[in-house]
Amino acid sequence: MAAATWVPPAVHWLAQAAVPRDITLGEWFTDPATWTGGSGILDSLADTLVLVIAVIVVSVLLAVPTAALLAHLRKAELGSAWVVNIGRAIPTFAIAGLLVPVSLRAGYGFEPWPIFLALILLTVPPMYLSTYTAVKQVDPAAVNAARAMGFTEREVLLTVELPLALTVIFTGVRVASVQVVATEPIRAFLGGDGLGRYVRDGIGQNNPTLVLGGTILIAILAGITAVTFVAIEWLAKPPGVRRLSGRRSDRTMAVRKQMVGT
Amino acid sequence: MFLATRAANPLLRWSYFVEQWDRIAEAIFQHVQLTLLAVGFGFVISAGLAFAGMRYRWTVTPITLFAAFLYTIPSVAFFGVLVAYFGLGLVTALIPLTAFTILILVTNILDGFSAVPAAVREAADGMGLTPTQRLFTVEVPIAVPYIINGLRIATVTTVGLVTVAAIVGYGGLGGLILDGLRRAFWTPLTIGASLSILLALLFDLLFFALGAWLTPWARRRQKS
Repeated sequence: MAAATWVPPAVHWLAQAAVPRDITLGEWFTDPATWTGGSGILDSLADTLVLVIAVIVVSVLLAVPTAALLAHLRKAELGSAWVVNIGRAIPTFAIAGLLVPVSLRAGYGFEPWPIFLALILLTVPPMYLSTYTAVKQVDPAAVNAARAMGFTEREVLLTVELPLALTVIFTGVRVASVQVVATEPIRAFLGGDGLGRYVRDGIGQNNPTLVLGGTILIAILAGITAVTFVAIEWLAKPPGVRRLSGRRSDRTMAVRKQMVGT
Repeated sequence: MFLATRAANPLLRWSYFVEQWDRIAEAIFQHVQLTLLAVGFGFVISAGLAFAGMRYRWTVTPITLFAAFLYTIPSVAFFGVLVAYFGLGLVTALIPLTAFTILILVTNILDGFSAVPAAVREAADGMGLTPTQRLFTVEVPIAVPYIINGLRIATVTTVGLVTVAAIVGYGGLGGLILDGLRRAFWTPLTIGASLSILLALLFDLLFFALGAWLTPWARRRQKS
């Protein structure tokens, strides 16, 4: 075969420093070597955070303004339903996998563009949907009152519709972001690292302790993300809207329901 | 280092379908098997939970919250934690996949039954139907479109998630993706990824057709 002398670029997967099999979870977490260095938790966490934050920021910038504007203009309603259906059908791992050779050939390497783009595809549809419905469902009386008072269309969108829709938009962004944190670890199986690496290495080395440790780290990060978003959500809300809005869990359920299709 | 030429490692070498057909067929079988098992178990569990929710209203919130909690567990973490208990294989792959379907199915089933107008329910009672008769001849037909929709979304989502189960050695077409990535050999990667996406679309169409077939009255109403 022509590729006989070829060294696969993914070879570093096999070259991971082995963690002793008889190590306990406590020993693993308290060993300084677990935390520092190129394969340490701190570096892996940084890897994960950079990617997750980039994905969230980019998909918010892509989805929210577009959806808000289109909803204000009452345009592209069919398109919105279509976007969401496509979004649900997207298998992140398969998409990211398909993008790996494309990225390599274009000279961008194994990582992180494939997983970045796949995660964007995962988050944009729900963010778009929640923003679109949120802006559309703003009480028409408020919008018409603003128009009657001489607000320009721009002002109607920016000072009336968006503040009133903000709570629901934020809930959508939060639910999608938690999904990003929950999905990001598959990056470790796409030639990258991040917090998923410990699960990958643990499976590769047949070391349950490593797998469990990695699992705990991923779960903690997902939990922290959810809590952080609830906090940001509360702080960012205009005080007037804060008084208006109903129970948080009701809204969460409403948005989640949209995402699971009812 | 990266000496492979495009000719030696194309994105897709068609002859692979012939050479490795057994492997591809096994992957497809495994993928469909996992999807159907996960959605099947998920549906049984969800139907049980939904009936509990309808019988005792106060259980709806805890049930939904628990299902939502399951839904947000990171997939890699969920598969990973089970490896410690069930090793690599079907059981480890199946449990998270089943758990992920429950939120989708429970909410859709509950919505379906709450779509039954109270007047219809009372009319059924007035006509002397027993609760069981009422359930199967009146409530279920009204709820069917919602249930089918839930099954459709759950199935399509599961087809995507099955690929991730490849990390525990039982992921159907995901196994081809992972193998392709490990060896940087693009043909199995492309085949595994494309077929899993096709499979998702196929299931989507199938449920669409099933929904149309099971609820002919919905179409008739649209026409008139």
